[in-house]
Amino acid sequence: MAEKKTKGKKKTATAEAVTESAAESQETGRTTGEGAAPTGEAKEDFQALQRRREDLALDVTRAFPDKYRISGEMEGCSDAAKIDLLERLVRTRTFDARMRRLFRQGRFEGTYYSQIGQEACDVVIAAQLEKTDFVGPSHRDLGASVGKGIPLTALAAQVYNRVDSPDGGRYTACHYWHPEYWVMQPSTSIMMNWIAATGAAFGFKMLKKKGVAVAFGGDGATAHGDFHEGCNFAGVHRLPIVYIIQNNLWAESLPLSLTTALTDLAHRADAYGFPGVTIDGNDVISVWNTTRKALQRARGGDGPTLIEMKTYRWFGHSDIDPADYRSEDEVEDWTERDPLPRYVAWLMENEVLDEERLEGIRQAIRQEVEQAVEFAEASARPEPEAFLSEVFVHEYPGFDVRAGR
Amino acid sequence: MAAITYIDAINRTLHEEMRRDDTTFLIGEDTGIYGGVFKATRGLLEAFGPERVIDSPISESLIAGMTVGAAMVGCRPLPEIQFADFISPAFDQIVQQLARYRWRTNGTYAMPVTIRCPWGGGVGGGVFHSQSNEAWFMNVPGLVMVAPSTVRDAAGLLRAAIRSDDPVLYWEHKKLYRSIKDDLPEGEEIVTEIGRAHVAREGGDVTAITFGYLLHETLKAAEALSGDGIEVEVIDLRTLLPLDTPTILESVSKTGKAVVIHEAPKVGGIGGEIAAILAEECFWELDAPVRRLTGFNTSFPAAKTMEDYYMPNAGEIAAALRATAET
Ligand SMILES: Cc1ncc(C[n+]2csc(CCOP(=O)(O)OP(=O)(O)O)c2C)c(N)n1
Ligand SMILES: [Mg+2]
Repeated sequence: MAEKKTKGKKKTATAEAVTESAAESQETGRTTGEGAAPTGEAKEDFQALQRRREDLALDVTRAFPDKYRISGEMEGCSDAAKIDLLERLVRTRTFDARMRRLFRQGRFEGTYYSQIGQEACDVVIAAQLEKTDFVGPSHRDLGASVGKGIPLTALAAQVYNRVDSPDGGRYTACHYWHPEYWVMQPSTSIMMNWIAATGAAFGFKMLKKKGVAVAFGGDGATAHGDFHEGCNFAGVHRLPIVYIIQNNLWAESLPLSLTTALTDLAHRADAYGFPGVTIDGNDVISVWNTTRKALQRARGGDGPTLIEMKTYRWFGHSDIDPADYRSEDEVEDWTERDPLPRYVAWLMENEVLDEERLEGIRQAIRQEVEQAVEFAEASARPEPEAFLSEVFVHEYPGFDVRAGR
Repeated sequence: MAAITYIDAINRTLHEEMRRDDTTFLIGEDTGIYGGVFKATRGLLEAFGPERVIDSPISESLIAGMTVGAAMVGCRPLPEIQFADFISPAFDQIVQQLARYRWRTNGTYAMPVTIRCPWGGGVGGGVFHSQSNEAWFMNVPGLVMVAPSTVRDAAGLLRAAIRSDDPVLYWEHKKLYRSIKDDLPEGEEIVTEIGRAHVAREGGDVTAITFGYLLHETLKAAEALSGDGIEVEVIDLRTLLPLDTPTILESVSKTGKAVVIHEAPKVGGIGGEIAAILAEECFWELDAPVRRLTGFNTSFPAAKTMEDYYMPNAGEIAAALRATAET
């Protein structure tokens, strides 16, 4: 008991320290020397680079080349909805950057899959969904969960594998899901969610329930047979589903040119008899308008749409991957195409947003993220035996979960 | 009352259960318009329409995997794999997703899915239409497997599987489809409890443990041995996963001797699991080594001469049982 108490105290103390350091880093735009001391020179460079890039990611008002300016109108999107969308984007990014740092500090086990750079692809469509619409995310879809409104506390607990994660810590970190929000639990085995979401869309149709499904996959995942089997079936049955490919040009270390001979993955839809569209996944306006139409099609009984969103993951496949197979120039270019500053600039130009309001939003979200971190760190680690349940619904005379021990 | 075949029992039960529960749907290859390559699903399309009876493209991964999402939104899916041999493309979806989903989500979702798999040899099908590949799934937590050996259990286990909230692989033996008949009163809702083996014949000298078509060969063997004063207790496993350990142990504790008989190759087969259970749980009751009489450690051959040689038959089974009984 005494030991437990000490542990709890220690945890809180560290959580505070972490909070302070983060707040400081965000205010000054610099980081203090967090985490374990780097050993080699290379490691120091790597850590410094990561931090610099995270700081960049958090600076959503920074300048970018004119050619990346976005324009047009977001159809059927009120000013309030535009701001709401911004909040969800900033919430996703802030949470993501925070988790990256916590991972490097060794605050949780396993690894971390960052979505930084790709948020618009997830958040914009998820924010348009009804709570009971079905989302089939993959391993890099934090934004789908944040976009659909899952509280950050639950997501942080998932990252930490704590008892307050929706699966009580037994599944896999970063594989965000929540039953109340109808975001299914992603399967680490690539493209299972694609098929499951297709099945959910079928279920909606068969049961005559209103509802659409949205499935997310990467460029690499389009080479998997399940991509084909899912799309093909959805095409035949005109299922209420939107398929999103986040083409971030890389599948772990595999360049797009070794995944496919295509340049635009939306062409794959031609094979399934439904529309495929390629868009700039880092242009919130374009993503909004395209996904809105696709959702209308799905809801209206017109069947599936495949949307390829060109985007980029800023960091490694997971945070143990230095991603040194990519050129610095490529990464630099894509950091300039960051969806957040582009959207923020457009909102400001159109007088939907001003500096003050943005600062308010950022402050509130920073606080929300810190509270989520505190929540996760204070959430208990699961009992060692807590995974020995829920294998079956029913009891069977010969089944003994402990038979091997 | 007319006797019906094993495949009639399956067809009738599908009709009854789909009528009873309109969240059920059937999906498989040639299951609708054609009524199934074996006609197990005949009449269902006419009865329930194309919304609930789906002629799937040749996409086994989809057939198995789509049930997960469908079940989550409230369906009770009834996928069919045309031949058990073609379940391998669906393996990932069954093993990684369907079977584990309840555990993975800490009990949030049930997966009330029944996958029907026509299996087994003796039908002149060659390697891709004859396999007994149930052992591929023995190591999968969260999966239930049943294999009816009688007409009554074909109906009873199917109904139990469909109504179960756990994912069930239902192994229907192709050689039994039209070779056995039984009187099943129409309208009787036969339910065979999942998880329980059946003592198909009582005897005190040796226990034979088997399932599927080979139950019938084993019963023949047992009759023959009875004439020589050897009384065989025959266990029809009915449920392959999780195995009914209590029933197996009870019988073998009584007879002290056991022979496991199955069509699949010996290595890694169900017989090995049963032998291990016996060695662990009733070693001191055993009066002889556990014997396994199985298929060969090869693939399944096509030519009739080879196929007949591959399949264990009543004569071989009798010889194995006698050898063990006389040990
Ligand atoms: C079936 C399967 N094969 C391999 C892996 C290992 N793996 C995980 S993610 C990944 C790359 C995925 O690339 P992409 O689909 O482009 O998504 P991204 O990571 O770029 O978001 C690989 C190979 C896996 N999880 N599942
Ligand atoms: Mg990729």
